[in-house]
Amino acid sequence: MSAEPLLHAKKVSITFGGLKALADFDLEIRKGDLQGLIGPNGAGKTTAFNVLTGVYLPTAGDVLVCGERVNGRRPHQINRLGLARTFQNIRLFKQLSVLDNVRIAVLADRKPLFDRERVEKLKRSGFPNRLFGTGLDAIDNYRDWWRALLRTPGFLREEEGIEKRARELLDVMGLSHRVDELAKNLPYGEQRRLEIARALGTKPRVLLLDEPAAGMNTREKADLMVLIRELRTRFELGILVIEHDMKLVMGICEKLTVLDHGETIANGDPSAVRADPRVIEAYLGEAPAHA
Amino acid sequence: MRSLVPVVIAVAVLALVQWLTSTSPYFTYLALVVGVNVVLAVSLNVINGMTGQFSIGHAGFMAVGAFSSAVTSMALNEYRIGFLPAGVEHQFFFIISLTVGGILAAACGFVVGLPSLRLRGDYLAIVTLGFGEIILVIVRNTPKLGGALGLSGKPQHTTLFAVWFTVFLVILFSRRLLTSPHGRNLVAIREDEVAAEAMGVDTTAYKVRAFVVSSFFAGVAGGLFAHFQSIIAPGDSFSFVRSMEIVVFIVAGGLGSTSGAVVAAVFLTLLPDAMRAVFIKFGGDNESLAQSIDQLRKPIFGLLLVLMMLTRPQGLFGTHEAWDWLKPKKKVEPQKGAAT
Repeated sequence: MSAEPLLHAKKVSITFGGLKALADFDLEIRKGDLQGLIGPNGAGKTTAFNVLTGVYLPTAGDVLVCGERVNGRRPHQINRLGLARTFQNIRLFKQLSVLDNVRIAVLADRKPLFDRERVEKLKRSGFPNRLFGTGLDAIDNYRDWWRALLRTPGFLREEEGIEKRARELLDVMGLSHRVDELAKNLPYGEQRRLEIARALGTKPRVLLLDEPAAGMNTREKADLMVLIRELRTRFELGILVIEHDMKLVMGICEKLTVLDHGETIANGDPSAVRADPRVIEAYLGEAPAHA
Repeated sequence: MRSLVPVVIAVAVLALVQWLTSTSPYFTYLALVVGVNVVLAVSLNVINGMTGQFSIGHAGFMAVGAFSSAVTSMALNEYRIGFLPAGVEHQFFFIISLTVGGILAAACGFVVGLPSLRLRGDYLAIVTLGFGEIILVIVRNTPKLGGALGLSGKPQHTTLFAVWFTVFLVILFSRRLLTSPHGRNLVAIREDEVAAEAMGVDTTAYKVRAFVVSSFFAGVAGGLFAHFQSIIAPGDSFSFVRSMEIVVFIVAGGLGSTSGAVVAAVFLTLLPDAMRAVFIKFGGDNESLAQSIDQLRKPIFGLLLVLMMLTRPQGLFGTHEAWDWLKPKKKVEPQKGAAT
């Protein structure tokens, strides 16, 4: 276990109007972690995901990805830092082939003209430097468009690399027989797996899975959970899973965070969480008085 | 260098066609009009078809290109490059003015693209529509651009070769774009913007880029148009109706399909002329009958479009490409895409 958490949420809160959707949410994901995020419907689990990935701006608190504070950064920037996610209501590129879905996520293995980190830093800094950074970025991008249009050998090599990596990921997720099909024609369970393959394409260090097993049958669910554990070791990931099926969550997660009405009501290892009276109350209603 | 092979072939073929048809002005004129429309349709397809942003101001970009390149070439006409023969010199100036038109249109595309970061669907359409109108108002009120009467006295540089070489370039561009990460990112935005963003696609930048490259080609098309019309006025040729016509091309061809846009643009541009040729025959010697039949053209044109949308709402080609059917189903060639 490394000392620095890859994904770190510090007292994150978010309010929509008067509604406190998430209050003082704390989370630490390290390499190799497999953590569950559970809670009844409307508890704020997906909201938590959206805050972490930059879809929503937190009202208070900080989110750190790989040590960098990402409040206010755009989702694609946060993704490039190593945070990838799947969606609860499947959001594939439906009209595109399975291969293309993954290829879009895979970043070309190319050397940029200018040092990426420096450009990113410039783009985040104050007024004159920001323009400079944007300019450098534009030049690099302009060059890359020409490479693509002229089909330079370097470009073709990159394309091959992208395709190879995409096929590898599809292989891992057991979708290699579906490569040329349209994403919308895949059965539900395979669409969910394709979402994971696509998320892996961005070379994440932390993977957020939003109900990856929703709509699957028991058998598929069991297979998926084995697969998720495999992914963790194979890609050296930290994984955060939202899941409704308590049996499964208890089965694979080493740590659980339970949300209810935006508040963290329990945190810790599964057996302790299961025994927690507040969790039982949230899920089953108030315990009878005589107990 | 293999990637330049199609360019060489295109140059040879187009030069031959130009030479063969140089004695037929009617054919040449039609070819120019069709070619300009194809460029417009294919370039608009980058915004509307690939990126899924709805722009209905393409004639505005075309107007920017047309007027700016016309003014440029009229200004350049005063100068001479001594050592060049007149023909070469004209073509050189022509290329410069087309580039100026394209770049100015691209700059406008950048400015119009910016609101697309915040606006979606209908709202963006209204902005692009407004842009088209603003351009026309500016032209109408600028004496240098000919005002409401239009700009005349431009050098007539446009040749069949120039137009169809641009057609070739824009198609090649579209096709190679679509099979590159940039094109895939554009399509990802069309399919699901939230997911694209989550997968690391800078959606705002790509939307602006789509507008920039698309309006560049629209500007070049405008420049080509300006250099074979004796007069360009801010009337029909750059109006809202014109923008809609281009939208009709790509919707009929299938949004997102480059080859669909080409086929639809060629077909729908030639249709009125073809109908005229046929209908005039019906009238025979009776002049007034011929004319009244000829007036049926517009309603029939509309009816055909309605019928087409009823029977094939996804357009002629859907999102498919003609060349998808040409190539073998399973491709294992190592040099993929190198020859195209």
